Amino acid sequence: MKTKFNYILSFFSLALLLVVLTACEREIDEFQPATFPSIAEVFIDDFSPGLEYAAFGNTDVTAFEVDRDITYQGEASMRIEVPAPEAPEGAFAGGAYFVEGGRDLSSFNVLTFWARASKSALINEVGFGNYLGANENVVILNNIAVNTNWKKYYIPIPDPSILTAERGMFNYAEGHEDNEGYTIWFDEVQFEDLGTVTRMRPSIFNGEDQTQTAETGATFMASGTVTFNLPNGLDQSITASNTYFNYTSSDPSIAVVNENGQITVLDAGTATITATIGEVEAQGSLTINSTGEVVLPATPAPTPMVPAEDVISIYSNVYPNEPLDFINGFWEGSDTQSEEVQVNGDDIIRYTQLNFVGIQFTSPTIDISNMNRVHLDIWTPDGTGPGSEFKVLLEDLGADGTFDQPNNNHEVTIPASNLETGEWVSIDLPLTDFPGLTTRSNLALVVLSGTLPNVFVDNIYFYDDGTGSGGGDDMPEMAAPTPPTRAAGDVISLFSEAYDDVLVDTWRADFSQAVFEDVMIDGNATKKYSALDFAGVEFTSNQLNVTGMTHFHIDMWTPNATEFNFKLVDFGPNGMFEGPFVEDDTEHQIDNINPAQGEWVSYDLPLTDFVGLTNLTNLAQLILVGRPLAASTVFVDNVYFYNDETMSGGDEPTMAAPAPPARAAEDVISLFSDAYDDVAVDTWRTEWSMADFEDVMVAGNATKKYSNLDFVGITTEMTTIDASGMTHFHIDVWTPNATEFNFKIVDFGPNGVFEGPFVEDDTEHQINNLAPPQGQWISYDVPLSDFEGLTNRTNLAQYILVGRPELASTAFVDNIYFYSE
Amino acid sequence: MNLLHKATNHPLFQIACFAVLALSFSNCELDEEQQLENRSWTLVWSDEFEGAAGQAPDPNNWAYDIGTGINGWGNQETQYYTDRPENVSLDGNGNLVITALRETFGGASYTSGRINTKNLFNQSYGRFEARMITPYGPGLWPAFWLLGSNIDEVEWPQCGEIDVMELRGQQPNMIAGSIHGPGYSAGDAITASYTSPDSRFDEGYHVYAIEWQKGQIDFFVDDFLYQTITPDDVDGEWVFDDSPFYMLLNVAIGGEYVGFAIPQTIFPQRLIVDWVKVFEKS
Repeated sequence: MKTKFNYILSFFSLALLLVVLTACEREIDEFQPATFPSIAEVFIDDFSPGLEYAAFGNTDVTAFEVDRDITYQGEASMRIEVPAPEAPEGAFAGGAYFVEGGRDLSSFNVLTFWARASKSALINEVGFGNYLGANENVVILNNIAVNTNWKKYYIPIPDPSILTAERGMFNYAEGHEDNEGYTIWFDEVQFEDLGTVTRMRPSIFNGEDQTQTAETGATFMASGTVTFNLPNGLDQSITASNTYFNYTSSDPSIAVVNENGQITVLDAGTATITATIGEVEAQGSLTINSTGEVVLPATPAPTPMVPAEDVISIYSNVYPNEPLDFINGFWEGSDTQSEEVQVNGDDIIRYTQLNFVGIQFTSPTIDISNMNRVHLDIWTPDGTGPGSEFKVLLEDLGADGTFDQPNNNHEVTIPASNLETGEWVSIDLPLTDFPGLTTRSNLALVVLSGTLPNVFVDNIYFYDDGTGSGGGDDMPEMAAPTPPTRAAGDVISLFSEAYDDVLVDTWRADFSQAVFEDVMIDGNATKKYSALDFAGVEFTSNQLNVTGMTHFHIDMWTPNATEFNFKLVDFGPNGMFEGPFVEDDTEHQIDNINPAQGEWVSYDLPLTDFVGLTNLTNLAQLILVGRPLAASTVFVDNVYFYNDETMSGGDEPTMAAPAPPARAAEDVISLFSDAYDDVAVDTWRTEWSMADFEDVMVAGNATKKYSNLDFVGITTEMTTIDASGMTHFHIDVWTPNATEFNFKIVDFGPNGVFEGPFVEDDTEHQINNLAPPQGQWISYDVPLSDFEGLTNRTNLAQYILVGRPELASTAFVDNIYFYSE
Repeated sequence: MNLLHKATNHPLFQIACFAVLALSFSNCELDEEQQLENRSWTLVWSDEFEGAAGQAPDPNNWAYDIGTGINGWGNQETQYYTDRPENVSLDGNGNLVITALRETFGGASYTSGRINTKNLFNQSYGRFEARMITPYGPGLWPAFWLLGSNIDEVEWPQCGEIDVMELRGQQPNMIAGSIHGPGYSAGDAITASYTSPDSRFDEGYHVYAIEWQKGQIDFFVDDFLYQTITPDDVDGEWVFDDSPFYMLLNVAIGGEYVGFAIPQTIFPQRLIVDWVKVFEKS
């Protein structure tokens, strides 16, 4: 890696060493009109007339020399010795070639030169327009790839017409590469007018159409690059100073832009900044949405109440503050402006154009290992709708206390649902929310970022909340109980990991008075409400019809709520909110629930308890209420409606069928059971069946499952059963949904051949109209005498099970056998 | 066009048979005067490429070459030629556009177009000209050229090849005109280049033409004669009085003549053809 060389800084250190290497200065006649000579040559075989050289500050001033041995052509070239790292003469090479008198370059369109180097390298920058500290019309080409062969380079002039009196002819800056110094040669440096350098394409703001929200007085800087197609058919981009761009504002009453590209916001409204070079429109723009006059908080931030001895404060008027390095590091890439303002005597930090900003405290770093929470109050005039967010990052320098790696940091995002426009919002987080902050004894940075360009910040402090949780919080250690398995049709879930959740618009509607956060408890997603007065959960875009449900379920954990209530609101058949009991809206609140604290509490309320909720087809809101007012915290999980008709819930048994009693072998002929020896069964689902069949295990017990059941045939045709010595038929059945379950037994008669019911000697009988309770094992013990049509029982061959509703019922069956009392 | 060329500039004396001798070759400027004998031409074939945008060129005039050819059309070219409108179509403004795209297609990394008048229009002698804007960038190789229509019987290079113009995209201000025949093909082709010192052929329309008569072919850019080739210049059999020739227009990407396209080469690239006209001597 190359060491970064900051040329801008170097320009400001104007302790330049003028090294005048030529006496060929041109005398300017003071009485001539103010036109300047049009001289193309910069350095062909020597300094061109009037050319001087000055090394940049902080560089090796001896880096440049005229070389008369190695040249591209002619007598001499320019040789740059790039110093090795740590060279005593200076770590960099860099300088500008200029003419005091100025030249008219408007008839040229490109600076060209030949270059080679002692090794392959990327020169940081080469360009022109640099005249000591006054750099008006700078054009820079960055990262120029050179190698040991001479090659011609082109630096196009974006708009030659402005270069009528240019003094900066050529400049370069470079540091060592791969930890080595090396040598660069430039030769034949001159301005040319080439028709082969074409297709000028300017761009500003990275060629993007950017948008910024700002207030009156905010300023922005435009900057641009220009791309040209070179004589080899390839594109090359250069950085050009703003003097080449003609910036315009679509509405100068809202925002103005000056010739240096500085944009100033004047009033509320929208203005778009665009630019041209000559006739060519630049790609990219900046649209400023100005909210107008600066909005200050009307009131100071809430006064912190934590006892001072439990606090380490960075910024507040209440506590002694640790020394700060800065409240704005003006880091590269940060647009953030900052100032301190007062509201009713309270000092507040005001950030504008905030994209990210660092508050640093390294002298000394802060040991917060005895603290367990971080607090800051923020206020923004900006919209806090969906997509808005605010981020807080804490960084610790680790054991070495320096910015060298490894450092530890963690960023927490405050979502739009927890932000407010025009109100103080207290961000009060347990440090356990910053798991990446693995050390806390050398805290040095708070970094704020997000989507809000205007943020007031106050009361930044760390504290110990006295719970002795050692950084923990008043939060459950265990996840909420896992809901039982239920058939998909028996549950409508707003939030659970057990069921498929329906769409919920928001877990914190704008009208809420609560802080909301999605948290993980023991690896389980959980909703957290703090400072809870009431919070609205809305599903208005997906209103729920819960007429098929019987119960509402919610799991709740609170460290401190003395009362927890909840309300369901139905918008009525018109699906519109009109207000409680206006038009067709109905609602009901379950009040005065005094939850146990510090444990998960599951509420299962029959919907019939929601007496006022007379319509159940357009449920749209769930309101959660906590007391003490605005001071309670609740964690919520597994919010769903379910159908409890089946009691057991779910669509499959959780228990095995009852184990059959022990019987003497001669007293039982079993088709299927674990208790007895089973006879051979041809199939548990004949070809002609109308049902799906599956062998399943229920609580470790083999069970036959039929679903989509109309009827299913089970046969022992290969070896028919002689049940003449038996008295009863037994079958265990479990169904989640069958309203009717019947079964039939068929005997093929003495000839053992199927001919059809009651044809020849076939006999059969069906037991009808059985309506087993759903969701539980039902044992049928039917005397064979009840199978009246089954007049022969020596050749039992088929057993038909029938379910209703047709093709829609499911039956688990087990323990199918004949027995003798 | 068809095989490897050597970029040897044609000797200056070829121009010397005309009256203007003052021109230094590399400094030819389009507005300089040349004295040429009068030649009178009658238009016998033309395509002005009128039609709706996206429409294919007139199938009565042009047929497509499709695919990657054998060995990249004999030149290690890297494109796949298609007949899709994305690659070959009219632009609705009276131009034919052959578009070179960087896309994976049929195992190639680029697609482009190549059309010809084989079996549709063939002629011996006369003036063949096209008004075009070239593509640019390393690896782009547009061409307007002719092949002997007896190519299927006698094969290349016996059939003869006349490259009215071709261009290397990395030198967008230089074109070349060449002929190939038995004993002087590919790298040994008879060729001359024309360099525009201060403009590029991708920056605007230019007319590229040959005037071909028995025993002589003259090469022009914008009616500026930059090369004349006669049997005396050829170390082999002169095959340009044997058979009528047909025309081709294409944009190749990569190949032995031009080198590979590089990642920085800009795509898409377009050869824009305003017209193609063929004249015979009045």
